[in-house]
Amino acid sequence: MTSVLLVGVGAVGDRAGRQLAATPGIERILIADRRRERAEALRRHIGARASVVEWRPRDRVPPGVTVVACALPPGDDVPLVLAALDAGIPVATSGDEHDGIATLLRLDGDARARGVTVLVGCGLAPGLSDVLAAHAATLLDSVDEIHVARAGIAGAKSEASLRRVHSDRAVEVRHGEVVEVRRRTSHELVFFPEPVGAQECEMVGVGIDLLADAFPGVDRITVRAVEPPPRTRGLFAREDPGGRWGATKVEVWGRVGTARVPVVYGAAGRTATVGGTVLAVATAALAGAVVTLAGQHPGVHGLASVVAPTAFLAELAGRGVTAARFEGVPVS
Amino acid sequence: MHAGRAIRRSLLVVAIAGIAGGLVRLRGKGGVPPTVGGWRQLSGPEFR
Repeated sequence: MTSVLLVGVGAVGDRAGRQLAATPGIERILIADRRRERAEALRRHIGARASVVEWRPRDRVPPGVTVVACALPPGDDVPLVLAALDAGIPVATSGDEHDGIATLLRLDGDARARGVTVLVGCGLAPGLSDVLAAHAATLLDSVDEIHVARAGIAGAKSEASLRRVHSDRAVEVRHGEVVEVRRRTSHELVFFPEPVGAQECEMVGVGIDLLADAFPGVDRITVRAVEPPPRTRGLFAREDPGGRWGATKVEVWGRVGTARVPVVYGAAGRTATVGGTVLAVATAALAGAVVTLAGQHPGVHGLASVVAPTAFLAELAGRGVTAARFEGVPVS
Repeated sequence: MHAGRAIRRSLLVVAIAGIAGGLVRLRGKGGVPPTVGGWRQLSGPEFR
């Protein structure tokens, strides 16, 4: 029996739970959240296949679990990943903060030794953006530059984490090495698919380690993000910021024969819905319920390193998350 | 007399800095709206 433990039922986790419930082959979903009423609400939505369980940091993974889906805030996912590694169970996590991802990447040796796959950064960007970069790379003979941009937040925790990201020093890959960005300003206008459209983005470092692992030898990799808008309070506060539109744009430069050409992909949707769908598909892939991984890959990886990009994008399209390609003259 | 000269010099420095800042901002790096092309959703054949 394929049994998923879903931990964290915020904006992304709730959407991931609904997507997992709609996945043939996922027979049981155990839901855990610090706020039990949120877990109960999702259980009622899913029905008899779901049940609510207690899980706290340092707890073991409940018996019978086949795969773990983690939608906890960045950093909070580390104890769960450690518990999954102890139990020898694969795990997919949606954390999108640079330090949190770096911490998980340090568990790579442990995961390889135990033969466990840990998929990190399974959200909009990192996540869908990595899959788009991997797909773009299949159209090129060689890749020399990757530029990722992201707009949108997937919930209150995601908003807080993105604010921290913008206050941190950005990093980029230059001449194949991850280096700090020393320029004081790195703002650039990026044209996302509609309805997000043109947004000013600032260079950050989120997910750059995952891309550097997946594309060794690429000369330059940058990640930009739109800074979250000022907080609204009182009557004008949004209950669910993840319900707002988000988007990602991925520009991959490389060579086809002797010509240097770009491949530009993008996707737009409700941020939490896109993130939750990506997390659900990655989890289902680890469970073997959908065939979107290119073989077995013990260790800690981003999606670009392990997915079969065409199959992954097809699975997402079947769930309403469709990518687009920019055709014409890319200007940004 | 010295105080007046210092104030005039300060104002001049502030004015020059403002003009220089404005020029940098005007000529700063920014995107140019795409005039050719557009987004096309990926479809069936591209998923096979």
